[in-house]
Amino acid sequence: MDSKLCITALAALLLSVPAAADEITVYTSYEEDEAARFLELAKQDMPDLEVNMLRLSTGELAARIIAEKANPQHDVIWGFAASTIVTPQIEETLEAYRPKGIDAVPAEFRDADDKWFAVTGYMAAFCVNDERLEKLGLEKPTSWKDLLDPKYKGEIVMPNPASSGTGYIQVSSLLQMMGEDEGWAFLEKLDENIAQYIKSGSKPCHAASAGEFAVGASYDMRAIKNIEEGYPISMVIPAEGSGNELEANALVATSKNKDAAKRFLDWTVTKTAADAYLEWKAIVTIPGGNMPQRFLDAGLPADTNSVLHPTDFKAAAEDRKEIITTWQEKFER
Amino acid sequence: MSGAAPTAAPRGESRSRLALTSDRGIALLLSAVMAGLMLVFLVLPVGAILLRSLDTPAGAGLGNFALTFADPRFWDLLVNSLSVSLLSSTLAVGLAYLYAYALQRSNVPLKPLLRIVVMMPLFAPSLVQAQGLLLLLGRNGAFNRFLGFDFDIYGFWGVALANTLYTFPYAFLILSAALAVADARVYESATMLGARPGRIFRTVTLPATRYGIAAAVFVTFSLSVTDFGNAIVIGGNFSVLATEIYNKVIGQGQFALGAVIGVVLLAPAVISKLLEKRISSRQQAQMTDKSVPLTTRANRMRDLLLGGYCLAIMIVFLAIPGIVATASFVKLWPYNMAFSFTHYAFDVQNGTEPLWNSVYVALATAGLGVTIATVSAIVVQKFKTPLSGPLSFLAILPSSIPGMVLGLGYVLAFNNPANPLNLMYGSLALIIFLYVYYNHAQAFLITSTSLKQISSSFDEASTMLGGGVLRTFFKVTLPLLWPTLLGVGVFFFMRAMVSLSAVIFLITPETQVAAVSVLQLADRGAVNQAAAFSMCIMAIVIACLLIVRMVLWLAGAKSVTLIR
Repeated sequence: MDSKLCITALAALLLSVPAAADEITVYTSYEEDEAARFLELAKQDMPDLEVNMLRLSTGELAARIIAEKANPQHDVIWGFAASTIVTPQIEETLEAYRPKGIDAVPAEFRDADDKWFAVTGYMAAFCVNDERLEKLGLEKPTSWKDLLDPKYKGEIVMPNPASSGTGYIQVSSLLQMMGEDEGWAFLEKLDENIAQYIKSGSKPCHAASAGEFAVGASYDMRAIKNIEEGYPISMVIPAEGSGNELEANALVATSKNKDAAKRFLDWTVTKTAADAYLEWKAIVTIPGGNMPQRFLDAGLPADTNSVLHPTDFKAAAEDRKEIITTWQEKFER
Repeated sequence: MSGAAPTAAPRGESRSRLALTSDRGIALLLSAVMAGLMLVFLVLPVGAILLRSLDTPAGAGLGNFALTFADPRFWDLLVNSLSVSLLSSTLAVGLAYLYAYALQRSNVPLKPLLRIVVMMPLFAPSLVQAQGLLLLLGRNGAFNRFLGFDFDIYGFWGVALANTLYTFPYAFLILSAALAVADARVYESATMLGARPGRIFRTVTLPATRYGIAAAVFVTFSLSVTDFGNAIVIGGNFSVLATEIYNKVIGQGQFALGAVIGVVLLAPAVISKLLEKRISSRQQAQMTDKSVPLTTRANRMRDLLLGGYCLAIMIVFLAIPGIVATASFVKLWPYNMAFSFTHYAFDVQNGTEPLWNSVYVALATAGLGVTIATVSAIVVQKFKTPLSGPLSFLAILPSSIPGMVLGLGYVLAFNNPANPLNLMYGSLALIIFLYVYYNHAQAFLITSTSLKQISSSFDEASTMLGGGVLRTFFKVTLPLLWPTLLGVGVFFFMRAMVSLSAVIFLITPETQVAAVSVLQLADRGAVNQAAAFSMCIMAIVIACLLIVRMVLWLAGAKSVTLIR
């Protein structure tokens, strides 16, 4: 046993040899398949750059970044919810950087102090199980308002905004659209029909796909991917307009390989990257380029701006704590 | 001759005194080593996270506790946690006791199969267990969909059921060790005195397994209280304290408030430590130097009843992996039931490589874990050093710590440039230590249960014959104990193959393990691929069991079981 211990200890030492100049560690919350594809392209463009990628969900990654603060292990944050990256505990680990070509990205998708920029994003969408609707004899809902109908009682699942970024953009967009008072009154009525508040943003869509519930409030790409998997669901973008979230990239201040990290960040706004985003993302903030047919087939409008509720990201981030506290008091059981 | 006699006695005396002092030295040294390891790999990380609970905007203080206790929701969640854990713990221990009894004290057939089947919940990541339960009993699960039922599993009863299934194997392992040995003479005299079987059970069997029952209750209760996987998937709107930690830490990055609940969850360990003395003082060793091992008598009626019971339990435990396996082999459960291998393509990061990482980690965890858990158990149960008390508390503490909390504690403690062991951060070695200490309580309790059955008169006899502590261990204790240790090794191996929540904060791009791949797949919606990946993990675990079994067979130990 002792010799084995020695070997593992030795292995530990070897593993911790300082990274080469062209090696960086990237933390991402892009879904695993998207991230793998983007990374493959990045490696084609920069064969000499070794990118070590760790993929965790938004919440898990946030917890890890906060826990590792004493000695950050990563050089770049990539594709990470903008409303989470602005929490002070994380934002203060970042360093301002303006990648080459960033001017093409409209200012509303960037931090005023250049600490982060977002090239992709996602929007709220319902996953509606057609098989279950038919079985229950229900019509397909097309808006948030439709969901207030008592016939959907117990058939709707929604993410818990306290633990899910997707849940938060749904709630905050409704509050922004309707105003505080009317918005909370609406959520209270909606609450009567909600079967469960699920702690993740993708699970409501999975639950609807599995036929456990008729409607799962989730987000666009989750719906599109589950439709492509073959589940009998369709995607509904709520008629009132859809709340949306940006996925941000940023340079970590403690990076020991800033040049390599900057090269990678530069790459994320190149044409190659933008074309790849279009294949995987419904919201791409780099202009020029068309949405693939399969997204249109799934029910996305070609011009996503027409359905996006203009989200005030700064406000959404600032009000976050207050909104979540109120939401928990009212609805969390 | 007559001249030699007077000098022989003092020399012998001095030798035994020497043996005594060196024994004392060995005992102290081993205790110190165990305490040192626990300090570094348990106290330090837990301390790091607990310090966070005192972290308030106004400086260090109890503000977070005041805030938490003032919230009525906290008390609701506490009641939820306690009620669901009490129910599932009672059910798991009761059912597992009868099951272990059937396997140890009756002649039911197919014992090896019966043993392995109830271990199923330990073979696959808990994520998949919960998924299997939904495939079976969900609103659109097999029962409702294909058999026309209409019931709703979400909520209190669903979580209670899931936790019962999930903690059953732990209870079984401990109770099986407790029921494994018995002194036939006690049973004979009870029978001769005219006691009926029911009375013998109540007055002989039950008291003799008191420590095992207490240990099993403690382990199953702590596991239920700290588990958030089942509660998140099956609880629906039924929340518990463990899911609230998830809410605070993962959902909102509020470590301090999450840590407060972490402190509350340590209570079961503290309470059981306080009760332990009372329970163990009444426990008597089963195997003394005069013992006659109990042999099972023939009794058709008893075997038939217990056999039927075992069969029923076995069906329940087979149903869940069975349905997950089915889902992994069809195109799209439950909509397209055509047979298909597509979910076994594994187009996930690093493909199947994490499986082999996991095998390596699991083997190392098994080796290191058995060594550490056994030495801790011996140090606590057999050596009386000043360290025994604190060690016995630390040994069972991990079962009261949610994996997520321990994992975060490891990050805080080891990713700190001030820690000389900082070099271990990001290595598989640290993951191995995390697995060892995360599962330490169960392994320690299984080993202790077995150790308590071995009378100290063996040690005394061996010492009187001049055998030192080490000699006694290798010549007396180990031959009696090793089947249990083998089981403990298998237990560590299985846990290290599948545990997820603890390592999620420690994996790096280079040290991906299999359970994380399952999570990645499930996260991106490929639930059937996740199921398929879990099937591969299960296959590896079962293959490893078979290999060890074969090695034992070749070594001539035919009657030894891997899982006691």
